[in-house]
Amino acid sequence: MSTPILIADNLWDGDAEAVITAWLVGDGAEVGQGDLVAEIMSEKAQFEIEAPCSGVLKILEEEDAVIAKGATIGLVE
Amino acid sequence: MTTAVKQRKLTVARAMAEAVAQEMRLDPRVFVMGEDIGPLGGVFGNTRGLHEEFGGARVRDTPISETAFIGAAVGAASDGMRPIVELMFVDFFGVCMDAIYNLMAKNTYFSGGKVRVPMVLMASTGAGYSDAGQHSQCLYATFAHLPGMKVVVPSNAYDAKGLMTAAIRDDNPVIFLFHKALQGMGWLGTEKGATVAVPEEPYCLEIGKAKTVREGTDVSIVSLGVGVHHALRAAQQLEQDGVSAEVIDLRSLVPLDRAHVIASVRKTGRLIVVDEDYHSFGVSGEIIASVVEHDIGMLKARPQRVAFPDIPIPFTPVMEQWALPNAEKIVAAYQQMHEEQNR
Repeated sequence: MSTPILIADNLWDGDAEAVITAWLVGDGAEVGQGDLVAEIMSEKAQFEIEAPCSGVLKILEEEDAVIAKGATIGLVE
Repeated sequence: MTTAVKQRKLTVARAMAEAVAQEMRLDPRVFVMGEDIGPLGGVFGNTRGLHEEFGGARVRDTPISETAFIGAAVGAASDGMRPIVELMFVDFFGVCMDAIYNLMAKNTYFSGGKVRVPMVLMASTGAGYSDAGQHSQCLYATFAHLPGMKVVVPSNAYDAKGLMTAAIRDDNPVIFLFHKALQGMGWLGTEKGATVAVPEEPYCLEIGKAKTVREGTDVSIVSLGVGVHHALRAAQQLEQDGVSAEVIDLRSLVPLDRAHVIASVRKTGRLIVVDEDYHSFGVSGEIIASVVEHDIGMLKARPQRVAFPDIPIPFTPVMEQWALPNAEKIVAAYQQMHEEQNR
């Protein structure tokens, strides 16, 4: 079973896109629920992305990827 | 069966903030001053969370008056505190240099060692995102040239935390220069190799020790900060041509680990220095001089330098990128050496 790591619709105002600035856990590493896994930036504001549950991280979108609200940037398996 | 292990990587920005926070918990004399370093967390993210945890008395936003707050830090340090001050862009040093090089750097000497000045001056460096000639310089050599202060330049989060902890605990003034492209701040550039695993507990890296970040036998590529990442990419390209490149991260300019560089060149016989600071009168010349002064016979080829040309940093992206060091220029420098040698 895998749970998507989603970019929440209410993270920032408006429809601006964001960029993944850093993955703070490597692909295939273990994460705990609530662990900080990534940072994204939209219009120079940085947002923290946490693991939705515990498991093994699978990265779907690499650093520098441009993403929209609602995007799935990775999975926790 | 799963083989996954727990891992925690930090950006350089987070690593710096974590080092400062841990030292502030341990030592009530440590405090932070600078522009926008309070609730905003620093424009480069390196003081995030500090104001929230320690409050406005120990994490003090200042007016845009570097002369005043860096001068105040020298006074506080001389009186037993351990200030950390941020000069937002190293390019701004012009207005506050008297406090830095005539007071901070010299008071210990002038007092015959009776007055210590244990402060850290951190400043952002570097170009690459079109911020033009007053917000893009490195100026490593400007500070390293002047006696009385240590100068460190980390290339990744692990080194940034260890060097920051060491800088705060050092009884001497330390200049901590962090490259914007390594901060993990997106719009300033993204260098994946700078975001690495970092232990949660406090630790120090000894200031003045270089590190071989890649072993090789044919050429020594010596660099610092973001240049280390260019050098590693160049080494990968050279490997495809059968060339084994060694990459050395200086990590500290003062003290400078000349012995480490000399030992590497003794093995490889070839030297390329990569520096985003200006070409002339700088780090690249100092490294080459250190090797040649020691033993000119070690070199099999003329040393090369890949540095920023002696021009103001252009705003226009194509011109700026033309001027900056990169992996292709390092590979070309090696090829130049190789051709001359076989002529």
